[in-house]
Amino acid sequence: MEPILLRAEHETNSKALTTSLKLGGYSALKKALIMNPEDIREEVKKSGLRGRGGAGFPTGVKWGFVPQDLPKPKYLICNADESEPGTFKDRKLIHTDPHMLIEGIIISSYAINAHTAYIYIRGEFYEEVQILEQAIAEAYKKHYLGKNILKTGYDLDVYVHRGAGAYICGEETALMESIEGKRGQPRLKPPFPAVVGLFGCPTVINNVETLACVPHIIERGADWFASIGRPRNTGPKLFCVSGHVNRPGVYELPLSVTYREIIEKHCGGVRDGKKLKGFIPGGSSAPVLPASAIDIKADFDSVAEAGSMFGSGALIVLDETTDMVWLLENLLTFYTHESCGQCTPCREGGNWALEIVRRIRRGYGRPEDLETLERISQFASRGMTLCPLGDAFCGPITGVLTHFRGEFEQAIAKAKPLPKKKLPALPVRSGRGTFGM
Amino acid sequence: MVSVTIDGHEIQVPEGTNVLEAAKKAGITIPHYCYHPALSVVGQCRVCMVEIDGAPKLATACSTQVRDGMNISTNSERATEARQAVLEFLLANHPLDCPVCDQAGECYLQDYAFDFGLDTTHMVEEKRTYPERERRMLGPHVIQNQNRCIHCTRCIRFTREISETHDLTMKARGNHQYIDTFNGEPYDNPWSACAADVCPVGALTVKEFRFRARVWRLEETRSICPGCSIGCNIMIGHRNGVVYRFMPRENAEINGWWMCDHGRFLAEDLNARDIDRPLIRSGGQLAPATWSDALEELARIIGAGTDARVIASANLSNEALYLAKKLFAEKLGLKMLVPVETGPGRSIKNAHKEWIRSEDPHPNATGARLIGLNVGDASRLQDFLITSSGPVVILDAGAHPLLASQDIIQAIKNQPIVAMANAHTPMTRAADLVFPVASWLEAEGTYTSSTGRVQLAERGAHPSDEAKAAWDILTLMARALGADPGPVTRPQQIFEELAAEVPAFAGMTYRRLSNEPGVPVLEEVAHVG
Ligand SMILES: Cc1cc2nc3c(=O)[nH]c(=O)nc-3n(C[C@H](O)[C@H](O)[C@H](O)COP(=O)(O)O)c2cc1C
Ligand code: SF4
Ligand code: SF4
Ligand code: FES
Repeated sequence: MEPILLRAEHETNSKALTTSLKLGGYSALKKALIMNPEDIREEVKKSGLRGRGGAGFPTGVKWGFVPQDLPKPKYLICNADESEPGTFKDRKLIHTDPHMLIEGIIISSYAINAHTAYIYIRGEFYEEVQILEQAIAEAYKKHYLGKNILKTGYDLDVYVHRGAGAYICGEETALMESIEGKRGQPRLKPPFPAVVGLFGCPTVINNVETLACVPHIIERGADWFASIGRPRNTGPKLFCVSGHVNRPGVYELPLSVTYREIIEKHCGGVRDGKKLKGFIPGGSSAPVLPASAIDIKADFDSVAEAGSMFGSGALIVLDETTDMVWLLENLLTFYTHESCGQCTPCREGGNWALEIVRRIRRGYGRPEDLETLERISQFASRGMTLCPLGDAFCGPITGVLTHFRGEFEQAIAKAKPLPKKKLPALPVRSGRGTFGM
Repeated sequence: MVSVTIDGHEIQVPEGTNVLEAAKKAGITIPHYCYHPALSVVGQCRVCMVEIDGAPKLATACSTQVRDGMNISTNSERATEARQAVLEFLLANHPLDCPVCDQAGECYLQDYAFDFGLDTTHMVEEKRTYPERERRMLGPHVIQNQNRCIHCTRCIRFTREISETHDLTMKARGNHQYIDTFNGEPYDNPWSACAADVCPVGALTVKEFRFRARVWRLEETRSICPGCSIGCNIMIGHRNGVVYRFMPRENAEINGWWMCDHGRFLAEDLNARDIDRPLIRSGGQLAPATWSDALEELARIIGAGTDARVIASANLSNEALYLAKKLFAEKLGLKMLVPVETGPGRSIKNAHKEWIRSEDPHPNATGARLIGLNVGDASRLQDFLITSSGPVVILDAGAHPLLASQDIIQAIKNQPIVAMANAHTPMTRAADLVFPVASWLEAEGTYTSSTGRVQLAERGAHPSDEAKAAWDILTLMARALGADPGPVTRPQQIFEELAAEVPAFAGMTYRRLSNEPGVPVLEEVAHVG
């Protein structure tokens, strides 16, 4: 496939407006601004574009939920919080072609009649903030932003808002709380953001990659977009591959390629000629799949069928040396650290599960532990929690216990009985999962 | 109205009702922690899970509004298991030290765990603790034990939405988050102890009550706060005549679910009694006497004196004030004054989120006015006393702070002084005749609030020793002074006579005051104050 989202990847000075214009940047904008906003929404709906931020919700449908007859302002938010372990595609996109994102934001804002847009960006992305600020300044100069854009009478302002280091602020309503200056924790839904969102006004929130697809849909048509991938899973996708492969990185491929193609062809296979043990298909919250699943298609529906989640498309590859008990401890450490703490099953269950897994790893597992882990994951997911972070830490538990239960049973079989005395405290680990083994 | 079925019971509830309240109407308890009818709905604790026909996931009852035809199950297998699991999560890190926790007996974690929880736990790990926050004064009245906190955020929302003081907040996050004041300063606002009331567990307790009594051994009496004219509804917790605490009692129109710290901590004052029998001055000393001697002495003083003056009190009940007026003003033609003062501003939020404010520190100045008594401030009281030459009858030694001033006492000390009191004041020590009066807990009576609500404070205990209720003493005084009021045996009789004679109270019956939930408001009275 020709590069679409990463078309500027090999350009020198790819971030500059001049480069963007040379490659066709902002031509979709000119086209869009003379279209009817409703027609843009229709076109995006027809393209089959599904959200690239994790949930895979059809973007055009989401835009349609915004009540157009309310007298309130409407907002567009670009979610650039990208904090899920294994996910680094939005960062790549911003580095490669910030103007593509800005063009997408302008067209999308126009499509929902918003006059203010926010880019909420992960606080650690300092360089990316500077890139965006620079690109936005260029766009204002060229009248792509500001009052009376390209003399069409349409106004739009874009603000970059930096997060302060919480994964949970990537969740759409926590993100809005954060922009409003409040403690970043998810809101109870309903009401949904499309109706009551930022500052109580109708709001659309989309991922960076989702918004970057929009100019291409307008430029080349919904049918062209839908011809990439397969029905219900259309368009180009940025796969960010990490873990035990020879060439980790971000690859732009059509949706529905197989994992075998990604791992073997594009990433040069498993590192050091080792055997594949399994892979996490959609960012670290997706249940791990065994090596035998390598021939499934990398898209929303196939991965869901296989019992996992396509999520943001972040692929983490695990070779035969991976200790699955360690893996689970690592993931739970992250999610426990990132739980906002407001709801019971996530706050209490996450840490409890982590303590159990740590104990197993230290050689004090008990036969009942696996059932308890399953019980925790049953009751901290699927609507038991206020936001999907509960599901996010339960996914890893169910994944490893479904496909690699034996490793846990072995660890427990070799375990010593629990000592009467307290176990000595473990050093507190940093919350971020690390995969750079 | 919409019609819903909950566990097989079909009921009608107004549109917009949440499932939790609808179930309450059907007599079904759905356990809940973060939900409180006065506070915003946050759906955080997740214990109120119910199963709704046709919904793929369980729903939180507190945040789900009923829809017509909804079929809700609170006891299906799925709902039951979910609730058990959430309770197990909550208990996983909870110190199970209920025997030494002061909340026991009114702890919702304990109660719901018994009613809805598992009888075992799967948890064998070390529990989370907050060593620095296990027992600390969060402010002057509230003690925090963060280990017991279930993170329901009710206390935070109380300070944001009710007191509007925004003092409490959640610090840190996840499994280690804890309650603290926003700026690290002591937690102190005029309603601070209400945060402990809304706390469903023993994480916030009230210093003044903590470890003084097991709640299940307390008797509870429905009363009215004596602290100001707003008339917050309270429950007095007491045992063997000793008062342990005041707690707010729900009344949507007046105090919602709240009361202020000033009123709450008047509870201890009810135990301060050092006058428990009539006292007559003889040989320069106040000496105990019998009731009949005391009443004879009264007759002697009033009978002999010319120009006796009577100081009533805006702290007395409608019944006592009515009797006093009838006896002293109407029958004996004496001059009477009800002294009132201006107090510090008090305020309380009702269930409609409206503030009610008052600078009138008396529970019944409105009643005194409606009954037609002379009401006056400090300077009128001073004139009233200084210009007197005959006996002075003080129906409540605590009616006004001026009554404790040495200047005033000096000015009238050569005149006979009669006083009613339950604890000594400088005035009672200077008096010639003292009648022991029942405490706020020991007498029933009605009081008219500043917003025109006539409210009944019930009696929770017999007057100690020889003390008697004010209405009772006034009846005896009337007889002793030859103005027989007829056979008065209960305050209800007096109230009914009052309602028949005083236009503002027309149409009220005692039964309505005592039996109706909340407080009846009669139009004629409602606009008063
Ligand atoms: C815990 C949590 C973290 C999330 N983090 C991100 C994130 O970093 N970036 C993102 O785009 N979406 C994230 N999401 C998903 C957003 O809530 C939201 O669904 C998404 O931004 C919508 O955009 P899309 O429709 O374009 O995918 C997160 C969701 C959850 C529950
Ligand atoms: S699931 Fe976790 S992160 Fe989400 S609201 Fe509940 S406690 Fe917060
Ligand atoms: S202190 Fe009490 S009211 Fe406050 S969050 Fe904890 S349990 Fe809830
Ligand atoms: S009472 Fe419903 S979630 Fe807490």
